[in-house]
Amino acid sequence: MSIFIDRSVRVLVQGITGSEGSFWTKHMIGIGTQVVAGVTPGKENQQVEGVPVYHTVRRALREHPADAAMLFVPPKFTLDAVFEALDAGVRKIVTIADGIPLQEAIQIRRAALSCGARVIGGNTSGVITPGAAMMGMFPYWIERVYKPGTIGVMTRSGSLTNEITAMIVRGGFGVSTLVGVGGDAVPGTRFAELLPDFQADPSTEAVVIIGELGGTMEEEVAEALETKVFTKPVVAFLAGRTAPEGKRMGHAGAIVTAGKGTVKGKIEALERAGAYVADRPSRIGELLRLALNKR
Amino acid sequence: MKLFEYQAKEQFQKAGIPVPRAQLASSVGEAREGAERIGYPVVVKAQVLAGGRGKAGLVRKAHNAEEVERVAEEIFQAGKGVRKVLVEEAVPFQRELYLSITLEPRDAKALLIASSEGGVEIEEVAKKRPEKVLQYPLDLNTGLLPFHSRSLAYDLGIEGEGAKRFARVIEGLWKVFRTCEAELAEINPLFLTEGHDLVAGDGKLSIDDNSLFRHPEFEPGPDYFDSPIAYEAYKEGIPYLQFEGDISLMCAGAGLTTTVYDLIHYEGGTVANYLEFGGPNYRKGLRAMELCLANRPKVVLIVSFGTIARADVMAQGIVEAVEKLKPSCPIVACIRGTGEEEAQRILKEGGIEPLFDTEEAVRIAVRHSKGATP
Repeated sequence: MSIFIDRSVRVLVQGITGSEGSFWTKHMIGIGTQVVAGVTPGKENQQVEGVPVYHTVRRALREHPADAAMLFVPPKFTLDAVFEALDAGVRKIVTIADGIPLQEAIQIRRAALSCGARVIGGNTSGVITPGAAMMGMFPYWIERVYKPGTIGVMTRSGSLTNEITAMIVRGGFGVSTLVGVGGDAVPGTRFAELLPDFQADPSTEAVVIIGELGGTMEEEVAEALETKVFTKPVVAFLAGRTAPEGKRMGHAGAIVTAGKGTVKGKIEALERAGAYVADRPSRIGELLRLALNKR
Repeated sequence: MKLFEYQAKEQFQKAGIPVPRAQLASSVGEAREGAERIGYPVVVKAQVLAGGRGKAGLVRKAHNAEEVERVAEEIFQAGKGVRKVLVEEAVPFQRELYLSITLEPRDAKALLIASSEGGVEIEEVAKKRPEKVLQYPLDLNTGLLPFHSRSLAYDLGIEGEGAKRFARVIEGLWKVFRTCEAELAEINPLFLTEGHDLVAGDGKLSIDDNSLFRHPEFEPGPDYFDSPIAYEAYKEGIPYLQFEGDISLMCAGAGLTTTVYDLIHYEGGTVANYLEFGGPNYRKGLRAMELCLANRPKVVLIVSFGTIARADVMAQGIVEAVEKLKPSCPIVACIRGTGEEEAQRILKEGGIEPLFDTEEAVRIAVRHSKGATP
């Protein structure tokens, strides 16, 4: 079991003929994902890795019903591509685009909330259920990172996710599903919105969140724990404990403003709600064991 | 990207928001000329991006030519990289209001914020008397509606002609927020005069970096950066922050680089600079190392765990950079992810010991930075 993506999900790839699109389509198929069709305007009748390509999402869906859309589309065309997928009735969307204009990201999230769709990203590697399927860009063949197991992972980061997931595996665990919500200030889906899915997933025994300074997503996880929306153990790692206030550390979301969004505040909120917070990556495994034994 | 006050006010003026008569000046002489033209008293304001200018003595009133020269001189010499000052008429006001528009990621809307108690203590007001800070969510599709301005005017106690002018200021600010694709458009204080005029006393405008491609007029120059190296890095598209310490970070990914920054501090080390050469920059090893070495660090620490950023390509870039630049300080490298076996081989052949554990790499780098042989 898993959340969001497994082998039963039929995936449409927008931007399939581009270099990233075709490269990662090959690997999505490689891990076991059902990629049913692709879209690139002007490239209908081509094939990528044996997947038929169409001009538009509606044209693709007429021939190949799909449950989800994977976007390998540049940031400035992402608004258009997301709305095209929503228009065609797709309600599960992942976009990797790094650099979506913020006001457009607001419009994307608002549209998704209005029609009950889930948009993951941008600025993410995507979603992977190790050993089964993925939507996005993960070197799933690196076994010491992408090992199937019982730990759900939610992250705002890329490289740091590999670091932390390697520690989950080193600790003797594996991953049920990993969701990269992305590093932008306005992610399409927020941490707390995924918790009910992990709660309902019988294969997930605990969740690791990989957060950082800025924004309020970690505080929202604390709220979900306090209100018992989520009752499984949570272990968190947060980057930026020693970061100077007001300095922008790369991600647009990582801005410390007016005392909110500090790592200190996030750690206090999470610990008060019963989560375990690791001060360094190498402690993730022992905290997971502690959290699971206590349950 | 934050703009300077004078740039924000240019945008305000274009959108019909009244601003004080003003002159931008790059020298004491220009400041005096501006003041003579505007008429006394004037306010001389340092054009810097940092907040808290008033409390730092970088905003000063002047009543005559000698005073303008003296305060302008002091502001230019304040040692905070002040290159320009804005000389403005001192607006006699009755009240100071606060008005801003920003983004609210959770509800996916914009947020209009206003207070009758504007000025330098607005954050204190928000903390201690939140009821004094009014907030209206704005849907980006329907935008600002007349009731928003109407409601705010009534609640802030602005009436008659003043209420109409207030509505025009809010409409102007909304227009700026949308057309400039801002993250934040703020007027604090917004002066209300005895004659019911409204004038933007200050202006903060932060343009969304992701939208800059549509706004070449805001392309930042060297004034916007902490150091010349930071500006070089920006032009290269490499995320970079300037610090003052010993260890130069050349890492991949914001989250991992920030984590390495934390780990260095846990171990008692200090950071010379933060630099990310992951993502789209992973082929820029040579340029990244040049930028790092320009800080004359005691050690360069390279940590990555890339997916798209291939470890073997990064390792090759580093080995080539070391051959070409011949750094006098040690290079500590911990490069993992896609292509990591090949990366280890490349590093070894290039004479660099490949490490595999982030925390170990940090410990070694900190020991090097303290002059010890690890």
